[in-house]
Amino acid sequence: MAHGFKRTRKGIVGRFEAPEVRLLQKLFSDVGETLEPEPRADQDPLETLVGWDEDVPEPTDPALRRLLPAASSDPQEAAEFRRLTDRSLRERKTAALRASSLALESEPVVLTAEQAQDFARSLNDVRLVLASRLRIDSTQDAERVAGLTDFGKADSVEEYMGVVYNFVSWLQESLMTALLKTLPSR
Amino acid sequence: MSAAPVESPELTLADEAVTAMNVPWNVVVWDDPVNLMSYVVYVFRAHFGYPDAKARTLMLEVHHNGRSIVFTGSLEEAETHVSALHGYGLWATYEKAGEN
Repeated sequence: MAHGFKRTRKGIVGRFEAPEVRLLQKLFSDVGETLEPEPRADQDPLETLVGWDEDVPEPTDPALRRLLPAASSDPQEAAEFRRLTDRSLRERKTAALRASSLALESEPVVLTAEQAQDFARSLNDVRLVLASRLRIDSTQDAERVAGLTDFGKADSVEEYMGVVYNFVSWLQESLMTALLKTLPSR
Repeated sequence: MSAAPVESPELTLADEAVTAMNVPWNVVVWDDPVNLMSYVVYVFRAHFGYPDAKARTLMLEVHHNGRSIVFTGSLEEAETHVSALHGYGLWATYEKAGEN
């Protein structure tokens, strides 16, 4: 079992077993793939090059809709905001996921406060995607999944995913405890 | 080679855009059963620079009331904050102050 993250004089340190590293890297890369902009046949290559988006539809995948939420209850405002920010938001998230995956190559994992923040964002995005796949929409749903903590006892894909979700939640909590200590106290 | 237009293209601003400058906008964070309380407190502290007590109060407001106004300012500021909060994975929207 992993030891979680701890704040030390060297930085925020995490120790992982090899299978945990592989699991986290797989999750980071899966979410990264989910965030790849959908290629559109009708898009002008020049528009793609300069990052101009004429019209960006709301994602149909509920997980993606949670990662890239509507910014306003007014559909017109939300569409305009999405057109202007969708690409940079995807890129920002993908960059954090890649950096976090790379950080896991070291043993132990040592993070600066900035790297730790990227790692926290990535773990959070993984949890948002898993929660969407597990249909965690309410506190009751969250409680239903909270009991799944043993990989050995998971006997369906859904249960396995639930254990993964709880592992990532536990890991993020340990990271937040360490990261909160880096902020000026007041 | 090409020539620039002789006269400056006319940019007409809609009247409402001018008056909208004076109307404050709220940034609202919505509750969801996924984001950890510790993470939400961290985001409010790290992004807005709020003291721990204020960050906790806002987080609990989101948790208990389903939503909380975490910032009030110009439309431009509100949009910037919403975009940043989406980067953190928080479910945030902006709205005209007094709308809800």
